[in-house]
Amino acid sequence: MAKNMSPGLFIQLIVNALTIGSIYILMVLGLDIILRGTKILNFAHGQLYALGAYIMFLFFQTLKLDFTLSLILSGVALALVGALSYLGVFAILNRRFTVSSTFSYRLLLSAMASVGLMMILQQGTLLCFGTQELGILSPFPQILEVGDTRISLSRLVIIFLSVAICIILYLMMYRTSFGKLLRAVSYDPEAVTLQGVNTFWIFVACFALGSGLAGLAGGIIAPLFSITPSMGQNIIFITFLVLLVGGIGSYRGTIAGGLLIGLLLSFGFQFLGSAAELIVFMLVIVILIFRPGGLLGEAAE
Amino acid sequence: MKLPNSLKTDRVTRYKWIAIIIVLIALIVLPLCIESNYIKHLLIMACIGAILGMTFSLLFSSGLITLGAAAFYAVGAYSSTVLVMNAGLSFWAALPLTLVFTAILALGFGAVFVRNAGVAFVIITLIFAQVVVLAAAQADFLGGWGGIMGIPRPNPVGTVNFAAKTDYYYLILAMLLLVVLIYNALYSSRIGRAWRAIKLSPKLAGTLGINEYRYRLLAFVIGSTTAALAGCFYAHYSQNITPGAFGGWLSIYVQLYAVLGGLEFYILGPAIGAVVMTFVPEYLRIVKEWEPIITGVILLVVILFFPGGILGTLKNPPALSLNKFHSLYNRLVTGKKRDSNS
Amino acid sequence: MPLLQVRNITKVFGALIALRDVSFEVNRSEILGLIGPNGAGKSTLFNVISGFHHPDKGKILFKDTQITGLRVDRIAGMGIGRIFQEPTLFMQETVFENVFSGLHRHYREPAWKAFLHTRAANREEAASKKKAAEILEFMDLAAMRDELAANLPHGHQRSLAIAIALACEPELLLLDEPVTGMNPSETAVMSDKIRQIRERGITVLIVEHDMRAVMSLCDRIIVLNLGEKLVEGTPDRIKNDQRVIEAYLGKQVI
Repeated sequence: MAKNMSPGLFIQLIVNALTIGSIYILMVLGLDIILRGTKILNFAHGQLYALGAYIMFLFFQTLKLDFTLSLILSGVALALVGALSYLGVFAILNRRFTVSSTFSYRLLLSAMASVGLMMILQQGTLLCFGTQELGILSPFPQILEVGDTRISLSRLVIIFLSVAICIILYLMMYRTSFGKLLRAVSYDPEAVTLQGVNTFWIFVACFALGSGLAGLAGGIIAPLFSITPSMGQNIIFITFLVLLVGGIGSYRGTIAGGLLIGLLLSFGFQFLGSAAELIVFMLVIVILIFRPGGLLGEAAE
Repeated sequence: MKLPNSLKTDRVTRYKWIAIIIVLIALIVLPLCIESNYIKHLLIMACIGAILGMTFSLLFSSGLITLGAAAFYAVGAYSSTVLVMNAGLSFWAALPLTLVFTAILALGFGAVFVRNAGVAFVIITLIFAQVVVLAAAQADFLGGWGGIMGIPRPNPVGTVNFAAKTDYYYLILAMLLLVVLIYNALYSSRIGRAWRAIKLSPKLAGTLGINEYRYRLLAFVIGSTTAALAGCFYAHYSQNITPGAFGGWLSIYVQLYAVLGGLEFYILGPAIGAVVMTFVPEYLRIVKEWEPIITGVILLVVILFFPGGILGTLKNPPALSLNKFHSLYNRLVTGKKRDSNS
Repeated sequence: MPLLQVRNITKVFGALIALRDVSFEVNRSEILGLIGPNGAGKSTLFNVISGFHHPDKGKILFKDTQITGLRVDRIAGMGIGRIFQEPTLFMQETVFENVFSGLHRHYREPAWKAFLHTRAANREEAASKKKAAEILEFMDLAAMRDELAANLPHGHQRSLAIAIALACEPELLLLDEPVTGMNPSETAVMSDKIRQIRERGITVLIVEHDMRAVMSLCDRIIVLNLGEKLVEGTPDRIKNDQRVIEAYLGKQVI
C-alpha cells in the first residue's frame, strides 16, 4: 500500500468506499430482512437489484419521469416482484414442508428454488432489455471541488439517499407496529401465529420490503455505474460476503460489514488492482477464524 | 443409500444384489456397445458429476449444505497438474499426493468453516469456491485466466495407454465404484448414523454424546478429498484446465444433481441426477437464449412439485392432482395459507 | 459422595435473572423432584446442568468432576442423559432406529473399524441391536418398533424420548416434565417406569408440574421460585410448607 498518498486521493477513496459500502448495506439489509423473517436465502436478490436498475432506466431515461419519482417507482415495482416471487414460488414450497422437515432440508430447497428464480429473472431481463450496456445520464453530473479533491455529486447523492433510506427503515422497524411484527416473526414465528396474526402475509411483506430495498439500491446506483446484464451476478457475491462478515441477524453488523468491505475494496482496487477481490475474500475468511459469527452476529455456539 | 431397514426380508436383499450385479455388468460392457466418442465423453462427464454430487450428499447427510464442491474439484485438478507437469511425477504417484494435500487443506479450512451454522456455511463455501478460482486466475504459475494446456495423459498401465476414451471411462468408473463402496460403508456404520442424527436433530444428537463439530468436519474432509479425486481425473482427461471451468455455477449444478435424483438417496440420487442433467440437455437442443429460463423453470417445477426428486417421487407417488387444485382454490378464495407447516 | 453437586449457580439472560445462587445435591439412586411455578428457572437449570447454557457464576460437579462450561456432548458422554419438554426425537426415523442411535457412545471399537465393518465391529452392532430391542421392551414400545417417530401419539413420543436417553446408559437422568398432560392412569404407568429406572441404578432428577406424581414419586423435592431455591425436603415437609403454598398461590394471580 502506497504510503505517500495525496489527501485528495484519500478523500476520493473514502467517498468511493462510502458509496459502494452504502449500496452493499442496502442490499444486505434487504437480504437479511428476508432471511430472518422467512429463513430463506434468496439467491435471486442480486437479480432484483439489476432489475431495479433496468426499471430505473425505463422510468427515468426512457419515460423521462422525475428522478425521485422514478426511484420510488423502481422500489415499488421491485417490492411487487418480490411479493409475487414469494406468492408464486416460496409459499407453494412451504406447503411441501412438514413439522419434521429439517432445517437443512428447508434451507436447501428454498435456496435452490431461489436459484431457479434467479435464472428465470436473469434471462428474462436479458430478453427484455437486450445485452448491451445501458447508461443513464446522471441528474447530478456536477463535480465538487474541495481543495485539492474532486468529488462527483452523484456519489454524494447516493450516500445521502442510502442514509435516508436506512433511517426510514430504522424508523419503520423500530417505531411502527408493523416493524415490530416483522421483527417478532424473525425471532419466533410460532409465537406470532399464536397471537392470531397470519404469518403468511408477514412473509409476503418481508419479501416485498427486502426486494424493494434491492430495487432501490439498483435504482440509486443506476445513474452512476453502467447497467449491465451481469450486474446481478456480481453484486450477489459481495452481498453474501458482507452478510457473512457483518453477521447474520445484526443490523449494526451489516452496517459495519458494509463499510468495512467498501473500504477494503475501494482502497484495494486502487493499490492492488485485480487481486483486490481475492485479498478481500481471504481476509474475510481470516476474520471468520476469530469471530465465527461474523463481526457482530450471533456467535455460532 | 437409505439406512438398512431392519425389516428387510431375504428376498428383497437377494433382488437388490441381482440388480446391483446387472447394473455393474451393464456399466462395464457399455462402452463396447457405443461407437460415438461424444457419447462416451458424456458418460465420463456424467460419472464425474455423479462423484461430485455424492460429495454434496455426504455433507448433506450431516446437515451441511455446501457450495464448495467446485473448490476442491479445482484444487485436485490444479494440484495434480502441477505435480505431474512441474514436479515430473507420474499421474499415479501424483494422485495419492493430491488427495493427501487436499485432505490437509480441507481439514484446515473446514475447521473454520464448520464452526459456522447453516446459512453462514452455505455462504462461506460459496466464497471459498470463488477464492480458489480467483487464486488460480491470479497465480501466474497456474496459468492465470488462460489456464494450463497440454496436461499429459495418465501414464500407461500395462496395455492401457489412455489414448482412447474407453480407457478413461474405465478409470472414472473404477473411481466411481470406489467412492460408492467407501460411502456405502460409511453410511451403514455408526459414523453414518451419527451424521444422520446430527442432521435430524443436532440438539438430541448432542445429548447422546455425538460431537457435532467433529463429525461434520469429518464429512467435510472426506467429501472434499473425493471432489479432488474427480478433479485429478478431469485434469488429465480434458488435458487442459481453466479457472473458469470451476466457477460458482458448477457447485450449484452439483447440488442440482442431488436434488434432482432425490435428496434422501445419498448414492443413487446424485448418480441419476448427474446422468439426467448431462444427457437430457444434449437431446433438447433448445434455442440458446431460452436455456437458462428452461433450466430455471425445470428447477422450480422439480422443487415445488417433486421435491423428492426422481427417486423420491418414484418411491412415494404424489397424491392426486385434485389436492393441488383444491389448495390453490383455497388460497385464492380465502387468501390464507392452509396451515400446519412452519 | 453425592452424584451431582450444584453450587451457587447464577444464570442471567440480559436483564432477566433466571437462576440466582442455586445450590443443592443429588444423591445416588434417589429420585429428586424439582418444582416451582412457571418461570421459576427449572428448565434453565436443566439446560445449565446438561451444558446447553453456561452459568455466569457457580459450578457443577458430577462424580466430583467439574462439568461447568463443558460441551453438551462431553457432558452426555460422562453419563448425564436428559429429555426435553418438547418432543425431541429423530422424527424421520423409526422407533427402533431412534433408540439404536442412542447407543452411540458405548461402542468399544473405534470408528474407523466400524467403517471397515470388521468382525468385531459387526458383532458390537448386533449386540447393540439386541440392547435397543431390550430397551424398547422395557419402555413398552416394542410393538411400534417400525413406526416413524413422527407418527406416534404424544404419550408414546415421551416414552421414546426416555428410551433414547436410557440407551446412553446414563448414571443421572434429567426428565423434563415426563408426565405433564397425561391422564391419571398414564401418569401412574409412567411413574412406575421411573421407579423401575431407579431400580436399574439410575439416579433421576425430575422437573414436573403434576403435584401428585411428584409427591408420590420423589424421595426429596427442591422448590424453586423466581430463580432462587426456596426450600428443599421430603414431600411431606414440602406439602405443608407455607412459603411453597404462597409461591404457587401468588403466581396464580397473573
